[in-house]
Amino acid sequence: MNEGLVVVVRAIISFFTLLIFAKILGKEQISQLTFFDYILGITIGSIASEATVDLSSRAWPHFVGLLSWAVLAYLMQYISLKWRYAAKIIEGEPVIVIMNGKIMDNILRQMKFRASDILELLRNQGIFDMNEVDYAILEPNGSLSVLKKPEYLPLTRKDMNIKAKPTGISTELVYDGKLIEQNLQQMNKDKRWLMNQLKKYGIRDVSEAFLVTLNDAGSLYVDKYNDEIKKVKDIGDYKGPY
Amino acid sequence: MRRILIIAIPVITLVLFVLIMHSGNFLKRPMGKDDDIPGTIDGIIEAVRNDSWDEADSRLQGLESAWKKVLFRVQFGSERDEINQLTKNIARLKGAVTAKDKSGALMELNEAYMHWDELGN
Repeated sequence: MNEGLVVVVRAIISFFTLLIFAKILGKEQISQLTFFDYILGITIGSIASEATVDLSSRAWPHFVGLLSWAVLAYLMQYISLKWRYAAKIIEGEPVIVIMNGKIMDNILRQMKFRASDILELLRNQGIFDMNEVDYAILEPNGSLSVLKKPEYLPLTRKDMNIKAKPTGISTELVYDGKLIEQNLQQMNKDKRWLMNQLKKYGIRDVSEAFLVTLNDAGSLYVDKYNDEIKKVKDIGDYKGPY
Repeated sequence: MRRILIIAIPVITLVLFVLIMHSGNFLKRPMGKDDDIPGTIDGIIEAVRNDSWDEADSRLQGLESAWKKVLFRVQFGSERDEINQLTKNIARLKGAVTAKDKSGALMELNEAYMHWDELGN
């Protein structure tokens, strides 16, 4: 038995099975994972790794295990999507931990959170003074959403009655030296317009540009391959690694 | 078309994987004249019962070469332990045939048969 070869074949099977199941299970980001999702991910990953290297049993039982966990996870997702009440039990719900500036200590105890944990989460949000907080909500994924008291909220253009033009989102016109004609047409521009604009930046050919974007307000961002920066600032605190 | 491909590729991939994982069961079946393991085991049992040790020895060599061929095919869909046990049975059988030990040889042959049945299941 060529164990190395078998492990390679099994690794290919586990890798792509995991990839397919992960795609089916959804697009949740790591930061949005609940505690259960986190454990689920670890378990499924561990089954896949066993399927790869545990040659004392066939790959099939591991695959069935992987499939069962993925199906159950999908079922849970479906139930919580269709049934709000079940979602509250399965995924948990947001809990108000600070209300009108007052810490809800009973709730904190229930959630097994210490006041120092809340202070840490507040500091992560750049809040160092509890007096600034009006409401704080502990989300099911463990993050803290904070509403500051009105007097601590930043001044906006609306408060000052200043009109602001919408900037819209930037669209890539050139990416890695290649023109994206589809986006150019979408922005109602043509290649001649783009070349005229690029000439202002000293670019004669699209291949000289690394990235060119345009937003709805007409603001163009151009980055060349040749950045003309003689010395790149080193922000490391010690020499190396080379 | 693209939508169909996006669905078809993962489905085909998973079906292919399942086939590879179950390949041990159908790839262990004889595909030529010299890779019939159960047939060869039967032949050796018969030779041992009749005390035809020379015939048993020549058939045993056939079993060894057949096992080498089949092993490469079944390794992706079988347990390592079953494979190793069957390999050990053949090695011990070799000793029993050399020593003309009838009971030992029959024990090994029957155990080899059992491991063969379990292979890929």
